[in-house]
Amino acid sequence: MRRWLANPLVGPAIATVVVALLVMSTTDRFLDAGNLNNLALQVSIVALVAIGSTAVIFIGGIDLSPGSMIALLTMVLACMLKFWGIGFWLAIVLTLALGAAIGALNGFITAYLRIPAFITTLAGYSAYRGAAFMFNKGSPVFSASDRLEPLFYGTFLGIPLPLYYVVVFFALAHWLMRYTRLGRSIYAVGGNVNAARLSGINVRRIQFYAFVIAGFMAAVGSVLMAARLNSGSPNYGVGLELQAIAAAVIGGASLVGGRGAVLATLFGALTITIVQNGLNLNAVPTSTQNIVIGAIIVLAVGIDMWRGELGRLLAPRRQAEPARPPAATEGEKP
Amino acid sequence: MGMSDGVVWELRGIRKTFGPVVANDDVSLVLRRGQIHGLVGENGSGKSTLIKTLCGAHQPDAGTILHEGKPVRLDSPLAARALGIATVFQEFSLVPHMSVAENIFLGRWLGRSMRVDWRGMREAALRVLATFEIDIPPDALIRDLPVAQQQLAEIAKAMAANASVIILDEPTTALGLRETEHLHALLRRMCDGGAAILYISHRLDEVVRLCDVITVMRNGRVVSTATETPLDVSGVITRMIGKDVTEHYPKVRSEAGEVLLEVYDIATERGVRGVSFTLKRGEVLGLWGMLGSGRSEIARALFGVDPLTRGEVRLHGRAVRIHAPSDAIAAGIALLTENRKTDGLFFNFTGTENITAANLGDFDRGLWLDLRREHEVSHALIQRLQVTPEAEFELVDRLSGGTQQKILVARWLHTGAEVFILDEPTQGIDIGTKVAIYQLINEFTGAGKGVILISADDKELLAMSDRVAIVRRGRIVRIARAGELSKADLLESSDERMRAA
Repeated sequence: MRRWLANPLVGPAIATVVVALLVMSTTDRFLDAGNLNNLALQVSIVALVAIGSTAVIFIGGIDLSPGSMIALLTMVLACMLKFWGIGFWLAIVLTLALGAAIGALNGFITAYLRIPAFITTLAGYSAYRGAAFMFNKGSPVFSASDRLEPLFYGTFLGIPLPLYYVVVFFALAHWLMRYTRLGRSIYAVGGNVNAARLSGINVRRIQFYAFVIAGFMAAVGSVLMAARLNSGSPNYGVGLELQAIAAAVIGGASLVGGRGAVLATLFGALTITIVQNGLNLNAVPTSTQNIVIGAIIVLAVGIDMWRGELGRLLAPRRQAEPARPPAATEGEKP
Repeated sequence: MGMSDGVVWELRGIRKTFGPVVANDDVSLVLRRGQIHGLVGENGSGKSTLIKTLCGAHQPDAGTILHEGKPVRLDSPLAARALGIATVFQEFSLVPHMSVAENIFLGRWLGRSMRVDWRGMREAALRVLATFEIDIPPDALIRDLPVAQQQLAEIAKAMAANASVIILDEPTTALGLRETEHLHALLRRMCDGGAAILYISHRLDEVVRLCDVITVMRNGRVVSTATETPLDVSGVITRMIGKDVTEHYPKVRSEAGEVLLEVYDIATERGVRGVSFTLKRGEVLGLWGMLGSGRSEIARALFGVDPLTRGEVRLHGRAVRIHAPSDAIAAGIALLTENRKTDGLFFNFTGTENITAANLGDFDRGLWLDLRREHEVSHALIQRLQVTPEAEFELVDRLSGGTQQKILVARWLHTGAEVFILDEPTQGIDIGTKVAIYQLINEFTGAGKGVILISADDKELLAMSDRVAIVRRGRIVRIARAGELSKADLLESSDERMRAA
């Protein structure tokens, strides 16, 4: 029973269920097939990008750049398909490779040039969106390819394709984090950099890889983003990095590094998306939605941090022997 | 004098539980003016919990705390500080990038409203430092000072706060012999000046020498009160662990075999200036030196943490190139670091994951880690080192210091190392685990491995080493058989450093 409660997935899963129940109590439309389908599509991009954000958070870093990276990558993908005559699948593969390469640049600057991750990716946040504006004179590229939309809107056995991507990539990420040497090393570096180095782990290389993963997952998100709107635009992905970080944090990933589970990030992404969906169904304006999301982030981290105190408050407690308050003696000492 | 004479603080029947664990059970303690009160006990005996209760960090479940005979409630560290409880913790509470003076008055800087009276504060700090004869410039930044001086600054900070009692938790772990003696003289003077002092240390010879009375704790209870405890080491040990320890240093001399490690004139930018020595199979080579002498830096150099600027290292007669700890591990060198918390343990990992961290290749099957094999490995090591069984699945922060140290030893056993560099392996751990570590050293040498032992505990070093190298200013100035060296020889080496500095 205690082991079961100690599982890092339990809290975020409960949060997701609670939020879903809350939304259900306010509107009947939540469980409509159409809405659930829509929800699956909405959650997919954030969730996939958040895998990368989680990997970076695990090593004790932070990635502010995936939103801007997505803007750049959708532009490159759309240009490849519409203007440069590159084959469909080759263009997809090149986009993914470019994402990994940009992640590698972030990783190189952070791990080998020793610029803090926050600064590196803040620079990337600015620079990659800037780079996106250099394509097609800064205008969005519409109707990139007929074959693009089915990647996002297609279904298999009646289930939307993005749901399959989510399952596959989270399964891969879980396997990587839990069952491979790289994953274990990521947790080690995030847990204690010195100890990791003194245990023979190549710390810089591990940090580098975490950013490559983040870049690759941003590229996966960018392909879906481009497919969703059959276009590329320098204005895509605004604020996505924050949603991805929020998903990881609501999922219980510690910003100090080394703690959390990547599957929990999926629940984090679900929680955010369900809240947004519920507020949309209730016609709550975007401004209020953003405030609610902010409150949820604080609450999620708070519940995690105050777990001990909350437990003590709820448990019956033996009262200390009554003692006089120190007020009488306080004045005696300077 | 009468029973209540000079009593400043009294704890009566303190009980504190954490879930099912009873950390303190009916603990009573009396602290008097002008008395140095020793508090000893193995790890997990409840000393830390008691101190935290006294300095307001924990609230007792039951019991009373009396200040000058009146019950008080210490519901926060601030409330405790207001009543003159000053604590010098093992982990420093200094701000590294601030000056000594700023740190001494941290949280209560002198001055009115928004303005800080820098000059007044500097002069006040000078007075405090002069009073206690602490020779540190008040303007120096904490981070620029050696650890020993940081420790003294920490103590000055505690004492500047008009303390009614000063609690020192393992104050000498970072100090050399000279600094320790200096500190003890200081405490003595303060005590004569009317302060009450509570002194916690694992170094029993120190406690016995310094303290007026000693309270011994075991399993959360007081097993020997201040009036009962004899002031000799073996008597204290017997009460601490509840049985006689016949041999404190169970050294077994092994037949020294062929040469295992040869070090020729190595140097680094971090203070190793041309060091040569050899280590034979079955031998323990002790490294002695004061803080900053380069003793730990030699370990760092051999382990590939600091790059060599010159020199050569040979293992089994073959030159090895060590550029990173991974090279050292692959070559068969292990380094048990001095600081478990910052350089050793992964607090986000279980005991098992901590044990295997330096040799994941052992069960790396390419695309996955063989986790079943990992648990077999750790289970076997946990049994072999007699680590508490729950360590296998528990996060290490829930384990005692001694258990944590054994887990780190297990890590290096798992790498199959031939040369074990043990930097302060028994620092801050209980007697039981200490003896276990000594027996492991015997086991290593018995199996033909070589051990380099670094220790600031002169008795331990002389007892457990076959040969001792004295390190001074980055060089080995003397290598002698341990039997030929006395404590005075070791002390002299530190004197030399003082003169040089």
